[in-house]
This record gives sequence, C-alpha cells and structure tokens, in this order.
Amino acid sequence: MKKYLYIFQSELMTNLQYTFDILVGFVSYCIMIFIFLNLWQYIYSDPSEVIKGYTMNQMIWYVIVTEILWMSLGGRKLCKKICNDVRSGNITYNITKPYNYVEYSLFSHLGITTLKIFLITILGMLLGIVFLKEFPKLTILSVLGVLLSCALATTINIVLITIIGLISFFIEDANPFFWLYSKLILVVGTIFPIEFFPKAIQPIMKYSPIYVVSYGPAKLFVDFDTHRFIEIIIIQVIYLIIALLIAHLIYWKGVRKLNVNGG
Amino acid sequence: MAVITVENLSKNFKVKVKEKGLKGSFKSFVKPKYNIIKAVKNISFEVEKGEMIAFIGPNGAGKSTSIKMMTGILFPDSGKIDVLGYDPTKNRRKLAYEIGCVFGQKEQLWTHLTPYDNFKFFGAIYDIPGKQVEKKIEELRELFELEEFMNTPVRNLSLGQRIRCEIVASLIHEPKVLFLDEPTIGLDPVVKEKIRTLIKRMNKEYKTTVVLTSHDVSDIEKLCKRVIIVNKGQIVLDDTMENLKYHYLNKKIIDAKMKEKVNLDSVEGINILKDKDYNLKLEVDLKKKSISDAIKLLNPDNMIDINISNVPLEQIISEIYKDGDK
Amino acid sequence: MLMEARNQIRVTRQSIQYALQREMLNKFTFVSNILFMIMNNACFIVQWLILYSLKDDVGGYTFKQVILLWGMASFTYGISRFFFRDSFELSETINSGKLDNYLVQPKNVLIQCITSSVEVSAIGDLIYGIIMLCLFEFSIKNLLLFLLCGVLGAFTIVSIAVIVASLSFWFGRTEVVANTVNGLMINFATYPEGIFKGFIKILFYTILPLGITAYVPIQVISHFEWIHILYLGIGTILFVTAAFLFFYRGLKRYSSSNLMNARI
Repeated sequence: MKKYLYIFQSELMTNLQYTFDILVGFVSYCIMIFIFLNLWQYIYSDPSEVIKGYTMNQMIWYVIVTEILWMSLGGRKLCKKICNDVRSGNITYNITKPYNYVEYSLFSHLGITTLKIFLITILGMLLGIVFLKEFPKLTILSVLGVLLSCALATTINIVLITIIGLISFFIEDANPFFWLYSKLILVVGTIFPIEFFPKAIQPIMKYSPIYVVSYGPAKLFVDFDTHRFIEIIIIQVIYLIIALLIAHLIYWKGVRKLNVNGG
Repeated sequence: MAVITVENLSKNFKVKVKEKGLKGSFKSFVKPKYNIIKAVKNISFEVEKGEMIAFIGPNGAGKSTSIKMMTGILFPDSGKIDVLGYDPTKNRRKLAYEIGCVFGQKEQLWTHLTPYDNFKFFGAIYDIPGKQVEKKIEELRELFELEEFMNTPVRNLSLGQRIRCEIVASLIHEPKVLFLDEPTIGLDPVVKEKIRTLIKRMNKEYKTTVVLTSHDVSDIEKLCKRVIIVNKGQIVLDDTMENLKYHYLNKKIIDAKMKEKVNLDSVEGINILKDKDYNLKLEVDLKKKSISDAIKLLNPDNMIDINISNVPLEQIISEIYKDGDK
Repeated sequence: MLMEARNQIRVTRQSIQYALQREMLNKFTFVSNILFMIMNNACFIVQWLILYSLKDDVGGYTFKQVILLWGMASFTYGISRFFFRDSFELSETINSGKLDNYLVQPKNVLIQCITSSVEVSAIGDLIYGIIMLCLFEFSIKNLLLFLLCGVLGAFTIVSIAVIVASLSFWFGRTEVVANTVNGLMINFATYPEGIFKGFIKILFYTILPLGITAYVPIQVISHFEWIHILYLGIGTILFVTAAFLFFYRGLKRYSSSNLMNARI
C-alpha cells in the first residue's frame, strides 16, 4: 500500500506546478455553471415550481456536483496516456516493476485528480451559495457520506476509463470509445437526473455507469436520505469490484497477446 | 558590388527565469524575472555578389539569429540590414522572391508528396508559370542527381536525399542569394561531402551568392573562400579561408593507441600533448611537418588504433582571442 | 493587387488539397472520424428532446430553431476547423518557431500558416450541419443564407482564435488561454440566446461575437432582414482586420525557436 501512496504523492506534487492551468480551467467550469443557471432559470417559470421532484435550486446544485466530478477527472488525458502506453510498449516495461499496472494507473491518476477536485469543489460551492443563496440541508455526517460517494464515483470513473484505454491492446485506437463514454456521461448523466428520462428506460439507467459515477453522489448531495445512501454505496462498491476485475482481466489478456505477438 | 550589407546589427532575447519548486512558479507568475540574452552584438559585414561565405561558431553563437534577421524572420533591435536593395523588416515579401532558404533542422516539404509535387507547389508559391517550373525542375534534377527518387514520397527518403530536395525546392525560383542554415547537420561524412560538392557546383552554375552557417569547420574548408567566425554574438574573425588555414587550420591532432609504451620527445613541428600509458596525443604543425612524418615517428606495427582530426573550433577561437591580446 | 490575391488563392487551394490528401492516406480512420463526429453531434438531440418535453419554448426558440442552431454551430465550426485548422494551433506554432518556414515565403504568413493542415472530423460537422438545415426547412434561399452565415461566422471564429493565439508573441505559453476562449465560443453557440440576460448579452454582440456566429444567423434564416446581413458583414470585417493587425504587430516580437534553445 505504501508504494501506491508514494505514486499518489509524487503525482500530486508535480501537479502543483500546473496551478495556472487549473486556474484557467476554473473559467471553463464557471461558464458551464453559468449556462446551466440561465437555462434552468428559464425553464422554471418561478423558483417554487417543482419539476419531476426537483426544485430549481436542487437542479442547479445537481449540475454543480456532476460537473465537479466530470471536469476534475481529466478523462481524455488518462485515456490517451493509457493508449500510448499500450501502443509504445511502455506497458511491458511496467510488467517488470513490482506493482500492477491497473493500480498504478489508478493511484497516479487519483493524484492528478485530487487537487483539481478540491479546488473546483470550493469554486462550485461558492458559485452555488452566491447565486442560489441557499445550501442543501446536510448534517456533518451526511456531508461525509456524500464525500465517500464522490470518492468512490471518481475511483470507478478512473477504472472504467482505464478499461477503455486498455481496449487498445485489441484494436488500433480506443479513443473513439472514450468519446462515446464521455458523451454518455455528459449528455445523459451530467445535465439531468435519471427521473427526467422516460419511465421505460429509467431501470436500465439505474444499472448503467451513470448511476454510480454521477447521479448517485449528486442525488445524495441535493436530497440526502440514509436509506438511499446505503443503497448507492453498496452499488458503487459492487461496481468498483467488478470494474477492477474486468480491468485486470483485460490487462492480463492483453499482455499475453502482446507477449505472443512480440516473442 | 555588395549584395548584403549589415551595419551595427544587434538582437536581444528576453528569457523568463524561474526558480525551482512551487514557490518559484508562484513567484515567477506574480512578478516575472527576465534575463536578457544578447544573441547578436553590434555586428557589421558585407557580402559580394557570387561569393560563398560561411558563418561558423559554436552552438548559440548567434549565427542562426543573424541569418534569420537577414531573411526577415526576426526583427533586429537595432542596426541596418540591406539585402539586394531591400530592408528585410519592411519588404519581407518582395525580398522573399529573391532569396532562398534551407534550415537544416526544419522541414518545409510535404512529406506525403513526391519531390516532384513539392517542387510544383513551391513553383506556385513563387508565382512561376507552369512551363517554366517544369523546365527548372528538369534542370535541377540533373544538377542535384535526383532521378532515382523523383517519384518517391519524401517521408521514404533518407536524410541526405531530403536535404538535397530541400535545397532544390529553395532554388526553384532562381534566387539571387541562398541562405543555408546548418545544411549538413546530422548527416554522415560521405553524404556531407556529396552535399558540399553539389552546393559548389550550383554556385558555379548559377553564380548564386551563398551564405551558410555551420559548427563544423570541415564544411567550410571545402566550400567557402571567406569565413566569418562568430562567438558570443560577436564577429571574432572575418578573413579569407586561405589566411584562416594558414594561421589556424594548419594543425592536426593525432590520437593513437599503442601496444607498448613508446617514449617520444617533442620535435620541431610535432608537439606531444599527452603521453599516458598506451595513449598518445600529438599535435602536428603542417607548415613544418607532414602527417606522414608524424606517423613515421610511431611504429605502425605497434599501433592498435589511430584517429586524425582537426583542431576543435573552440580552440581556434580561443587562439584568435589570444592573438588579439598580443 | 488583384494578381497577388489570385496567386494567394491558388496557393491556398493547392495547400488545402495536399493537406486533405495527407489525411486520406488511411482510409479507415478517415471515414470513421467523419462518422464519429456526426454521431457525437447527434447525441445532444437527447438533451433538447428532454428540455422541450418540459417546456414548449426554451429561450424563445422552438425545437426546430434549436435544431437550426445546432446545424449552424456545427457548420460554422466545420468550416473553420476544416479550412483553417491550424489557427487553433497557432499558439504552439509561434512558440516552437515553426513560423520560420512561412516567413521566408513571398506569401501572406498568416494565411499560409493557418491553412497548412485540415481537420477530417470537421467534414462530419459540415454534413451534420446540412442535415440539420434540412430538418429545419430546406429551401434554396435558406441554403444560400446558411452558407453565407456559415462562412462569415467561420471567419469570425478564426479571427478570434488568431487574436488569442497572438498573445503568445507577448506572453509565451498561452495555449491554455487560447483553448479556453475557443471552447467557450463553442459552448455558448449551442444554447438559445434567450436564456441569457443582462450584461452577458452586450458581450455577445461585441467582444464575444456569438451574435455573428450563432444568434443573428438564426434570425436571418427564420425572418430575413437586410439589416442583419449588414451587421454580419461589418462585424466579420472588423474581426478579420483586428486579427491581421494583432498578428502582424506581434510578429515583430517573434523570436523563432531561440527562446526554446535558450531555456535548455
């Protein structure tokens, strides 16, 4: 465990130097929130209206949280890096190291994400309080619950993207798959809660990654409920375990294929 | 008649200095510190029509910066430049029709196209009518011996073949002056020699004025009649190749590895620089002794390895400085 | 002058043609890039279907007008990214000293360097744009207006990209800033004007010209008025002029690759 902590720490340190880039990234975040603020203010004719069980303020808080989770992730970079590692054969270099590539990728990327998520969270909360003049009713305990769920969401997201990146063992360019994944999360999972979709497809969405990487934590934030919390955490943990298993499986299959071809 | 006149030319670069670590990044973000690098300091010279002139000097001496100012790429901080009657800072585009440039480290060709298609493209850039381009390509193809690979995409050519194509591409519009910035960088000696011969032939054929830079003395020895040595942004020496050879390039260094230890004493014209274990290093003054004299001193049967080289450029420069002090 | 312009156009056409040939070397990637871009754009229809199921108008636009807005945005960006791809990489070109090659050619440096490669996926944007126009309402008049607005909008977008990239002449590594500004232009261009209020609207018709690249074109195609075309024309000319002025002012400070070398 100690070596993974070290990987985490060193990535975090290198990233402190990119503070400026992060600051500029803030501008993009503010603009997204600004657009959605305007959009929902237009859709809700008066602030007391409730649509599909959400008040206007809840809707905007929902987007603030899902956007924090997505913008801090830097998924495209991660996917590109893994694709390059596979294609350049760097990944085989990693085989000789006393750590596993999947965990290596997970912890090194968590290091990159942590600082960003921390800073964007502060920004997002400030924006919400300034524009909405209201904060969801949360106790200290439920805040911890939301944080746990967010951490799990980010971890699952990274593992899922790692899986997508590792597909490049088998096809030439896995980036288009990432494209599709990001569209799924962005269009379907970031803007609207699951309740906004037609009844017929809601059960399907409950089993899709959207539920665990964006809907779950954001829903807990705007409307905390102990029963729901337990349910979401359990599903997230199951998702994480399965995703890790798949990642390892693809990795080993891929490496074996590489060895056969490369030998 | 002078085709290029440069007077009191200077150029500085401002480089941001960053201290180490996070604190340094922050500091340089809030209050940036700059270092001024004087790349070219107050240089003046003239180049005559049809001349082949070389700028030599170590990396970072200011050769490329000078060429880039003469071609209009960089704006000088002060001083005057006149190339073929144009001021590069004001008439860059008019000047561009009259000059050709090759930068050894930068490609201007489309790599997925054949040399032929590339040359046609350059013809279009210089507004040359189709038939005239064809004729010119034909002519240059012979001069630079491009037959074998005229229809091979550039990305499949060797570095030496590519450089030949780069040079031809820059000659399509019959420039009066050709600037070559490190044309032989990264090439092996045989290919280098080939390029030199071709440049020489081109100069003879078209009477094109050639200005070239290099950090390799042997490049210039064979090509140019006149040499300008630049160091730290200043002209150290502006002289004919003959004089330079007589004064500074008349020495060769011999490195030899022997089977047994030989005891040699310095004689007139042969100086022993190092004699340690089985390794010998001699400096031969060609005015007084020939290379063969020096080798005769060593027993060839006793020799494992031998290497004969020119005096390094840095040493020549420091010798020139020493002479200046006298 | 006329001769010069003709020669410039000839060279630019040739250079775009060669750049396209280069991209077509790998046919599979070529086709799949175009298809993926169309699919990518189409994804967003889901978002608008849901929004319009909640309310009949969003920001004063009907669903059809939002379709047109998307069509316009992809078409405008399609043109700018296909023909002037390198205007979005200009910052990098300046910092790495790659302008040298264009500077020794007797053609317009800016035009030469921003037209030296093409973006294949932008063809997908162009096709998608036309499809959306057909879904809105196809007529020859609409098509002509669509093309005109697309070209003017593209010139404006490219001009903005050139202006922000030119900051590199003064401040060095400003790629992030350039990318952010370019991204911001796209984000706004895909939402109806009516949802925004107050100060930001002034920006849209001045320094962040969403008016030129998105909102006025939608008005022009929905209800034609000459005055709108006039606004688009004048606005575009102003931005293009500003881009050239900025770039050439900065060019005097160009330092080739010398700064890179000095850093080592």
